[in-house]
Amino acid sequence: MSHPRHALDDLLAHPVRFSIAALLFAASKVEFSFVRDHVEVTDSMLSKQVSLLEQAGYVKVDKGFVGKRGRTWLSLTREGRRAFERHVAALREIADSLPSPAGGNQ
Amino acid sequence: MSESGPTPREAQAALAEANSQAVRLRHADHQLGWIVLGIAAMYLAVGALMSTLQDPRRGGPVIGSAILAIMVVGLVGLVIVFLRIRAYSRTGILLYFGGIGAFGLWNGIVVGVSITTRWWALTQPSYHFGVSVVVAVIPLLVAGWLILRR
Repeated sequence: MSHPRHALDDLLAHPVRFSIAALLFAASKVEFSFVRDHVEVTDSMLSKQVSLLEQAGYVKVDKGFVGKRGRTWLSLTREGRRAFERHVAALREIADSLPSPAGGNQ
Repeated sequence: MSESGPTPREAQAALAEANSQAVRLRHADHQLGWIVLGIAAMYLAVGALMSTLQDPRRGGPVIGSAILAIMVVGLVGLVIVFLRIRAYSRTGILLYFGGIGAFGLWNGIVVGVSITTRWWALTQPSYHFGVSVVVAVIPLLVAGWLILRR
């Protein structure tokens, strides 16, 4: 059986992209500024990472207006959801290989 | 994936991060819950005012203005809260629209039953209107509670 690390997604292995995907996975739609505030990154950093996720087909970007203010909404695509689920399953497998405190290394 | 994957501790930290992002999103959903409860509060306030009238058909300038104020302030407040929403989950939005839809249906049933059973009639006391409103807003209260407890 192969090591679970082989099931990890390269794109989601980046901590910022992982946090973005984790937030979007729990959501239907999230506004850009909400992601920026909760993932704690700058606008430019978020734009860059979202572009990469969008190019991979993981994230959908919708732009709209509320009055005169522009708003950008982000959501995970079906493919993005599947990729995130696979990535998290692999992380769980890796995390489960950690010996329990009761059995172990003091 | 690169040959050196995350250690078990790093994987645990990543899973904890995913969980914390999900919790943040659920908290963002609470605004939807407050909107639903705000609508229920508007209906309850109007029902309470109507219950104080001697004759609901005649109303009165004070009560009429108060009801208008409740509706205007309530609707403006709800629109402001709605425009401030920056994130919502699939479950949150389903509960929100489910609650609003159930309220529309249930409110129609309550009104229909109130009229056909003559619970609402010229000879009936005004508080009957208030009681019907309390029963009618149950779906909104349930939806609001379900969203806020998440």
